[in-house]
Amino acid sequence: MVLLRVDGVECRYGSVKILEGVNLSVKEGDFVGILGPNGSGKTTLLKSISRTLKPHKGTILLDKTDIYSMKSVDLAKHMAIVPQESNIGFSFSALDIVLMGRNPHMKRFQMESEKDMAVVKKAMLRTNTWHLADRPINELSGGEKQRVVIARALAQEPRVLLLDEPLTHLDMINQLEIMDLVKLLCVKEGLIVLAVIHDLNLAARYCNSALLLKGSRVFAAGTLDEVLTSENIKTVFKVDAIVRRSIVTNSLFVIPLSPQKPSSPRNCAIHIVCGAGTGTLVMKALADEGYEVTAGVLNILDTDYETAELLNIPTVNEAPFSPITEQTKRANLEMISKAAIVVITSVPFGYGNLSNLEAALWAVKQGIKTYIVDEVPIEGRDFTGGKATALIAELRKHGAISINHPSELPTLVNATHDRMELCKHNQTEIPGHMKNTEPITKPLDSREPS
Amino acid sequence: MLIVALIFAVVFCLNIGFAPISFSDILAILGKQIPFLNGSINSSSVSNINETIILQIRLPRILAGAIVGAGLAAAGVMYQGVFRNPMADSYLLGASAGASLGYTLTAIYAGSLALTFLGLGIFQVVAFTGAILTVFLVYFMSRIGNKVPVTTLLLSGIVVNIFILAVQTVFELRSGKALMGIVAWIAGGFTNITWLDIYAVFPFVLAGVIIAYFYTKDLNMLAMGDDTAQHLGVNTEKVRQILLLTASLITGAVVSISGVIGFVGLIIPHMTRLVIGPDHRILLPTSAIVGAIFLIFCDSLARVATGASELPVGVITALTGTPFFIYLLRKRKTSYSL
Repeated sequence: MVLLRVDGVECRYGSVKILEGVNLSVKEGDFVGILGPNGSGKTTLLKSISRTLKPHKGTILLDKTDIYSMKSVDLAKHMAIVPQESNIGFSFSALDIVLMGRNPHMKRFQMESEKDMAVVKKAMLRTNTWHLADRPINELSGGEKQRVVIARALAQEPRVLLLDEPLTHLDMINQLEIMDLVKLLCVKEGLIVLAVIHDLNLAARYCNSALLLKGSRVFAAGTLDEVLTSENIKTVFKVDAIVRRSIVTNSLFVIPLSPQKPSSPRNCAIHIVCGAGTGTLVMKALADEGYEVTAGVLNILDTDYETAELLNIPTVNEAPFSPITEQTKRANLEMISKAAIVVITSVPFGYGNLSNLEAALWAVKQGIKTYIVDEVPIEGRDFTGGKATALIAELRKHGAISINHPSELPTLVNATHDRMELCKHNQTEIPGHMKNTEPITKPLDSREPS
Repeated sequence: MLIVALIFAVVFCLNIGFAPISFSDILAILGKQIPFLNGSINSSSVSNINETIILQIRLPRILAGAIVGAGLAAAGVMYQGVFRNPMADSYLLGASAGASLGYTLTAIYAGSLALTFLGLGIFQVVAFTGAILTVFLVYFMSRIGNKVPVTTLLLSGIVVNIFILAVQTVFELRSGKALMGIVAWIAGGFTNITWLDIYAVFPFVLAGVIIAYFYTKDLNMLAMGDDTAQHLGVNTEKVRQILLLTASLITGAVVSISGVIGFVGLIIPHMTRLVIGPDHRILLPTSAIVGAIFLIFCDSLARVATGASELPVGVITALTGTPFFIYLLRKRKTSYSL
């Protein structure tokens, strides 16, 4: 049964539209996350639902009654709000504050009854604030204060709970406890929760549906699987992110990568030999530096394959869980031949991807600058009975450089790139430095025809 | 307990004055006025002059002090609560300025007229009207749509106060001989209080405090901020209108008999809050009684402090109240906030 219904709501501040065309219907037990970047209208939507900001157009119905035609005291019996920040100046005790939550249920001169006290005590026990009952509210910590405010909301015995960034001041354990409690009320008692949440991972973990706002409109709505995709996150938040499902909590989780830097393109290709997630950071870091990153061979469904897709990095790929075929290997060599630099990450090597090392060896013999990230020594990730270790040793012999951590890469690569730039300008002065320059200089030359 | 203290203060201050009258005489005089008791009291020792001094001069004056003190303090609590601002006092919306201007104009242009209204002097009536008109002017100036934003209201109050003060100064400069009277009235005091003044003002103060008491729980929630109060079921706009109107009527009424007595409406609520906490259900009645006691003592001091001539009571309130307030403020370990 639909309880709360938002119909074509449009809000304005002056002549500026803050929100338009928002529709939403929520039923008992729903936990709706309202997501979106700053200024997308999340708080405004919550304000209009909480009767603080009357929408310009559209209606908000609670049980088919327009909330703007209700008395505030009647609405307060059904709906409670936990605001972003509670600025409580007066030194009321925590108990006084929570007792205020009983106000809508009491007549003007009525004293708090035993039932009111029982409800208040229960709310305070649930939010772990009962021991704070006599403390003045303005002497509590941010987290304690927020829990008291949540207790006050629960004391209203609402059917709809609106949370506006309720966890801003809370540490991890407090966040989880409060969200667990709210979720429990949702599931067990059919409480409707609408929460503005900035932390997409918390949203993913607790909400069962979401509304994603962008530029004062609804960009996506539905289940979290529908809303929380890396495409949506990229479009709305302008941040590359990896979305996965956690095996532990069975909820989605989002790993935001740093926002794309608008660094100038360097017109220099770098090929990365990676897999199993070892290449994700490297690809991102080098792409951010403005290099034309390529990767391969990667199996489809591999973590690094997905990252590459996300970052629009061209790859040579192979069917899932399949060894690399001759044909794919050739395609990979083709791609490597266009690169000026090759990076080999600390990927484990088995017979399936051993040919990637052979390809790298070919590259180093061609004179292509090659870096080996040795975060984990090769002996620990060689599943080919020593063949991979031998190949790595040979790579080193031919001039491949080992580094300890992928974070060293951008600086090294930039230095190499600058040196190559210099060489290109002074080719006559350092003859013989680039003996087999054919595959390297090609992309470099194409940059500057002179 | 506070009420007992108030009664004690009344009796004690009846004793203060130039004509020495003993406590037993005072009690006898007062006892005679109470039905059922008057038969059993032997008042033969009390002279008629003393009886007149007590009943017609000192008692009305002391009761007026109590009523004005209670009214100013209660109005101060309401204004501070409604505005969530510690600087708010009972004269915030221009009641004092309006009353002063009304008094000044009357003193210059109609001072010689012996007009009365329901037995009240023209000065009182005009001062009351001036106070109420000013508050309404400020209120409607700040109105945007059907809402009255708190900040706008505060600013309008301050601006109108300054404006009226300027107009007032112009008239004072042209007032000639009436100037001394005007200055004395504005400084505040209870020199010429009669029983009639008390009958006129007491209903306003009593009714005002009772009405306000109905809304003390709402004031507590308003302290959480407008939005939160609304979410807790308070019709903030309506509550604010009612309380502002009530507080302004109280202030207008007391200002019309006492002139402008500063400090009480600002500091008494703060003092009381420092001692008993912020809950308006206790704060409002306590502040009213503390205000009453405070002003009775201050007025008694004003009567006798400098010999034959009286000090304006506003001087005494500030001189005695400030050190005590600072003491309370310093005594607190934690910072005090409204």
